[in-house]
Amino acid sequence: MIAAPLERVVRVFARPAPWWSNISAVAARELRDAVRARWFLLYTLAFAGLGLGISYISAAGSGAAGLSGYGRTTAGLINLVLLVVPLMALTAGAGSIAPDRERGMLSYLLAQSVSRWEVLLGKYLGLSLALLACICLGLGVCAGVLALTGAGTSTDARSLLWLGGLAFGLALGMLSIGMLVSVLAHKGSVATGTAVFLWLLMVFASDLGVMAGVLALRMRIETLLAVGLANPLQVFKMWSLHAIDASLDVLGSVGLYAADTYPHGLAWMFAASLAAWAVVPLVVAGLVFSRRSGV
Amino acid sequence: MIAIERVTKRFGRATAVDDVSFSLAEGDSVALWGANGAGKSTIIRCVLGLLRYRGAIRVNGMDAARDGKAVRRLIGYVPQELGFYDDLSVGEAIRFFARLKGLATPRTGGVLSGVGLEGQERKRIRDLSGGMKQRLALAIALLGDPPVLILDEVTASLDACGREEFVGLLSRLADARGAAGTARTMLFASHRLEEIQSLAKRVLTLRAGRIVADEAAGEFVRGHAGGRIMRIRLEAPECAAAIDVLRESGFAARLNGVGVLVPIAESRKAEPLRILTDASIHVSDFDLMHEPGPEPHKEATP
Amino acid sequence: MNPSRFIMGLLGALVLPCGAPAQPPGAGGVSPLASRIAAAAPGDTIEVGPGTYPGRLVIDKAVRLVARPGPDRPMLDAQGYGDAVEIRAENVELRGFIIERTGSELDGENVGVRVLANGAVIQDNELRDVLFGVDCKAALRCVIRNNVIGAKDLDIARRGDAIRLWRSDGTLIEGNTIRDGRDSILWYSKGVIVRNNLAERCRYGFHLMYSNDVTIEGNTLRANSVGIYFMYSTGVTVRNNIIDRNRGPSGYGIGLKDTDAFVIENNILSGNRVGMYLDNSPVVRTNRVLIARNTIAVNDVGMQFLPSVKGNTLTGNTMLDNFEQISVLGRGDLSDNEFDLDGAGNFWGDYAGYDADHDGVGDTEYESQTLFENLMDREPKLRLLMFSPVQQAIEFVGRALPAIRPEPKFSDLYPLMRPAGATLVAPARAGGGNIWIAAAALLGVPSMIVGFAFADRLLARPAARRNCPAMGGATA
Repeated sequence: MIAAPLERVVRVFARPAPWWSNISAVAARELRDAVRARWFLLYTLAFAGLGLGISYISAAGSGAAGLSGYGRTTAGLINLVLLVVPLMALTAGAGSIAPDRERGMLSYLLAQSVSRWEVLLGKYLGLSLALLACICLGLGVCAGVLALTGAGTSTDARSLLWLGGLAFGLALGMLSIGMLVSVLAHKGSVATGTAVFLWLLMVFASDLGVMAGVLALRMRIETLLAVGLANPLQVFKMWSLHAIDASLDVLGSVGLYAADTYPHGLAWMFAASLAAWAVVPLVVAGLVFSRRSGV
Repeated sequence: MIAIERVTKRFGRATAVDDVSFSLAEGDSVALWGANGAGKSTIIRCVLGLLRYRGAIRVNGMDAARDGKAVRRLIGYVPQELGFYDDLSVGEAIRFFARLKGLATPRTGGVLSGVGLEGQERKRIRDLSGGMKQRLALAIALLGDPPVLILDEVTASLDACGREEFVGLLSRLADARGAAGTARTMLFASHRLEEIQSLAKRVLTLRAGRIVADEAAGEFVRGHAGGRIMRIRLEAPECAAAIDVLRESGFAARLNGVGVLVPIAESRKAEPLRILTDASIHVSDFDLMHEPGPEPHKEATP
Repeated sequence: MNPSRFIMGLLGALVLPCGAPAQPPGAGGVSPLASRIAAAAPGDTIEVGPGTYPGRLVIDKAVRLVARPGPDRPMLDAQGYGDAVEIRAENVELRGFIIERTGSELDGENVGVRVLANGAVIQDNELRDVLFGVDCKAALRCVIRNNVIGAKDLDIARRGDAIRLWRSDGTLIEGNTIRDGRDSILWYSKGVIVRNNLAERCRYGFHLMYSNDVTIEGNTLRANSVGIYFMYSTGVTVRNNIIDRNRGPSGYGIGLKDTDAFVIENNILSGNRVGMYLDNSPVVRTNRVLIARNTIAVNDVGMQFLPSVKGNTLTGNTMLDNFEQISVLGRGDLSDNEFDLDGAGNFWGDYAGYDADHDGVGDTEYESQTLFENLMDREPKLRLLMFSPVQQAIEFVGRALPAIRPEPKFSDLYPLMRPAGATLVAPARAGGGNIWIAAAALLGVPSMIVGFAFADRLLARPAARRNCPAMGGATA
């Protein structure tokens, strides 16, 4: 009669569960796993370390001429975010489904009373929280150092908060793409490789393509802006500059064109682009995942 | 409790399950018997909603494909080997799966003592032995006291000692009644006679995705107690030819690392050797084993 | 002051505004002060008490019109029609008034103070809601000092100029605060001194057209579309100005077109789109000009040259943290400009050389030859890719492969090791507290997330420990 005490214990604690219960359970597990994982620590350290370097160098540079308060740190941090955050989010997403499938964990998980959408959304939620923690930690260390050295201004404070938020927005899109890759790929290593390839593509190849378009095809400004709006990295960059500088003229004619043509709608366009990148790949991933036979 | 109607599952051009129908009444305990690749696991994966299939599977009246989540809520599942995030601690794993089953955080200590894992809750899964892992999987499967238990070759990765212990645990469980006073329904895949003997009430024999026999457990065990497999050592180039001639004569010969395996009835032990000799295939050695273990095994059949 | 005049003035101030029938704005009424001017003799001082004096005031006699000191200043109110004040006589002084509500007709050049005669002194006035501010036409040796000049809330193109000089040589523009106007523009005016003014949020901070021998010093030009723009002017001196964050479409801190014989020294040009812009300046190559000891920092482009520009001498400037230090629009190099004077070059924030002999001058030359800048100079649209990682990637490729490295735009043979230019006083760190808040917020988020991740573990553990022995007992 071994089951008797077991049942007693379990019954006592049984409660009807809310609809998000499974999602949050998967999310919490994924988050915990991520926080313990090496990539999280590594990326956080890299992010915070490079951010610190940038803050320190900018502060020292402008201090030499008595210049300060221009949010110079921000420019360097934008660059850093553009490099690190997509890589981090893409690889995190790529590592969400495929390796589990490979090691048989996924079929065990899906044999439980949980739907595939719940697993996917839970993982997305957990990983996005992990990414948010990583981003905030990195930027928070920068802010802390700026505060401690007295080099920070309210411009920097505002910029850092904006950067944190927008970097998270970028991370959501990249995570979504990474998870789609992970659902489609059969092996973890393939997923990670594809993610790194996509990272290279988005960080370098797409911009090189734009350069080629401008230099060789004399792309028009409207076309350039459209291409920029379609690229989540460019959107992050433009939105950061827009929010922090209240203008896009640093980006030359295209920036001016954008700011003049859409004085009010620009932020919404940025938001729409980032949101689309966060939602569409995830929905595609969910549809593929939930309709697939096998795991 | 479980009704499987004309289920067919194809992987590409290969048919893993071919138009299979059977059902389990409440409290029934059915074993799926067959060689690797006969379709046992595929049926189980269909019931769990891990695969799409043609046909219909109902559990407690609910469609397994459409209401997969609700169906799985009724099922406790123990896989061949617990594949789960192995840096989780035992307690964390229990709490995680309890949440998925919609249970409030259970007192893990009680759950674990039920399967003989008391005091292990802070241990990481990766530090558990194979037997302890299977006990943990069983503890997880029993969370929430599901009316159906599905076991997929749960002892396959255990050593002899662990196997015996685990089967003992399962048979005690099979005898126990659920809290609602009804007996658990069990569906399990196995290719071990002793498991079937101690757990099953009925045995379905599968071959190439079809059910070829549906017997009461006692009858099955009697039929198989004398069942033997002859392992014939051959030179590698001759194996294919040997299988061909044996199959022509009605033997279900199959390839094995060092030769050919031939299941044989009690009275025909010499026949394969004769056929091979007639076909001028040289037999260097042979031995006899109990069906269907891959390794010779010497334990006495009760 | 003559007491009878004083009483009259008082009466004028108190009675006339009430006594006069409400003037319809279309009529352009005559100011009640007109009668006092009519009554005054040249050289008299008319003290005006507080109150509103509606209508247009024409000063056609050399009088000093002075607001009585006190908390409330007299208001000269044009009531939204035409001009507020017109000075027709020489040596008039207008001091301490609030001058407001001119008309809005750009064609009519509705103006706060129109000066049509020499030697006027416009001082300590506040001009608000005016289309044009102070407009001097052929008025020599005027003084425009310590005024606050505002503007109408119109589209920038429909505003008027805050200050306009037309053939008004020898004017002194000093200590004024100019906000939100269109331009402050000097036409054909020689020997003007512009000193210690503040211009904010205008289109052109100061704009010179054909105005020679002008000195612009000690001004602060901030957040205008363009700081100072010179066209067709010769012999200008620009020194000790702070020119900060002028970021309109062209966004020049200082722009020079066809301008000659200039000295630009000791200015701070920071945060502009383009710190300094040179187009065909100097005009005559032999007219060597000097750009010295300026701090040109944190601009998008430090200095921008059109390809044909030659004959400039740069020395002792500090070029710091500009996204692009020196840009040449289109193809071309700056070989006909000097980047040092008597063995003293400039300080370049991105100079990577060394100074082994400790003479303050780097031992290797500073060369500007980055590939991405080169591409941007050729195709300005590429600026869209600024801050993108591809920028560094291209620079890296440029450094790694000398074959595709562009020709240096210029080289500074004697780069300075330390900044020598004017220095800004660091702005007050009013936001020092905010950065702490930001740090706390940013660090708070991950702590909460990690806390959430491990929450159930922290909560569940003690309970489980308590239960363990009890359950063990139950099984036994």
